[in-house]
Formats: sequence, C-alpha cells, structure tokens
Amino acid sequence: MSIDRTTWVLLAYRLPRAPSTPRSTVWRKLRRLGAAQLLDGLVALPLDARNREQLEWLADEAVEAGGEAAIWVGELGSAQERALVARMSEAVATEYRKLIAEAEAARDHPCGRRRRTLGRLRREVRRIRARDYFPPPERQLALVAVEELAALVEEPVA
Amino acid sequence: MRWATRRHCHVDRAACAWLIRRFVDPDAEFVFVDDPDEVPADATPFDIRGAELSHHGGECSFEAFLRRFDLDDPVLWDVARIVHEADLADERHDAPEGPGLDVLLRGLSMTRSDDELLALAEPLFDGLYEYRKRAILLGREPS
Repeated sequence: MSIDRTTWVLLAYRLPRAPSTPRSTVWRKLRRLGAAQLLDGLVALPLDARNREQLEWLADEAVEAGGEAAIWVGELGSAQERALVARMSEAVATEYRKLIAEAEAARDHPCGRRRRTLGRLRREVRRIRARDYFPPPERQLALVAVEELAALVEEPVA
Repeated sequence: MRWATRRHCHVDRAACAWLIRRFVDPDAEFVFVDDPDEVPADATPFDIRGAELSHHGGECSFEAFLRRFDLDDPVLWDVARIVHEADLADERHDAPEGPGLDVLLRGLSMTRSDDELLALAEPLFDGLYEYRKRAILLGREPS
C-alpha cells in the first residue's frame, strides 16, 4: 500500500516514578489523542496545529510534575512509518470492531436500553473518529452499524 | 495594557480575550506572536507555554485567569467548564456545549484574521455568559 508521507510531532517525556497520578493522567490523555508509543517515553502523532498544541501542553504538564519533556517535529523512515501507520490503523480498527459487536448485540435489547446504548455508541464513535488518523475499513462498518441501530430505535412501536 | 498570545487564535485564547476585556482590562490591546520569545517586554503573555496565565495542572488558560484575578463569579466558572471541554475535550467536565463551541470558533479561525476572530467572539461569549447565568438562576435550561 502506498501512502502519502506524514510529518510527525513527537513528545519525549520522563516522569518521576512517584507519585503515579501524573503518569496515569498523561497516559490517559495520550490515549485519548490516539498517540502511538514508539519507545518508553516517546510518543508520536501526525503533525497538525491541534496535535502539536495538545502535546505541548502535555510536555508542560510533565515538567510541572517534576519530569522532563521535549517536543520534536520530524519524519520517519518509510518502513518505520508504514509499520506505525498500520499499528495506529489497527488500534482504531479494534475499537471499531468492539463497537460494531455492541451495536449488533443491542438490536435484541428492550427498547429503552437500546436507545441508551445508541446514545452511548454515538458518543463513542465520535471519540474514536477524533483519533482515527488513518481510517481502516472498519470505520464505515461501525458508522453503518450505529445507523442501523438508530433505525431500529426510531421504528414506531407496532 | 498590552496582552500577547499566540497567532491563529482558537477557543481558549478567544475566551481569554473576552474575559480580559469584560472583567480585567476594558482597554486591552492584543498582540499576536509566533513564538514565546517574540512577546514584547510591555505585554502580558497568555495561553503561551511557560506563561503564568496558561495551562497548569491540566486546566486551560481561561481557568488560569479566573484563579489569577480571583474571579469567583459562578457563571464564569460555568463558562470555564465549557471552554475547557471545547479546548481540551478531556472529559474532566460534563459540558455537551464544548464540541459545538469548538466547531464555531475553529470555523471562524479558518475564515477570519485573529483581530476579527476576537471581535466576533465577544458577542458570542456575552451570549453564552447570559445563557449560563439564566440557566443557573432557573436551575434548568432557559428558553
């Protein structure tokens, strides 16, 4: 598969062993952004203004917590980049597959529960899409699964 | 007074500029820079890495202003919740308005200059403030 080359923004950081809260806060935020871990304490995102800014705030957060951090912008070797893109794409694909399974399971649920599940899955799709930089085919399947569930929820009661 | 922030303003900087004009310095003048090193000596930097009026402890710059200037108006803290989620989307707060505000400001940042963006954001935040004030007084969403 040939892809356009990507410029990356990288965050290199080190946090003290204790306390563990800043460590898990930073990790949780990186996960939400969809950052890929390259090495222990080195993560990458495709470069855009938002990703760069978010990583800069995280760098400051690491420093405020007594750690060290640096932001880099760079290119990866083509083989390394292909592997990274495939890994990031597979990570969101896994999330989409889990969501598709939930949407399918919810079809047999009672009406009220089905409606609540729909709301939750729509929010979840939005969260995943925000970190879906290299969309896998599962994205479209997930959107369809959620819309099919929505159609069931909107069906009038017979 | 002069205030300096990064060029290509988005929601947090627009909200801070509104807050400065309404609650801190009505005659505020804003300068936009590309790099923290370019902040003029007579200007107060905000929403710039390393500044006091910037992100700290996971809070956005708008929240830093409220703390620094002892603005304890509950409506401002309620608006802060929305600005935080629009800017950071880390779900620290339950603010469903956040994603919508983010889209509106991001769209304006694509079509307008920083000066125009801040000018347009003022009535927007005036309205948001008024809406949240009424919501807090009523205990439900106003109409």
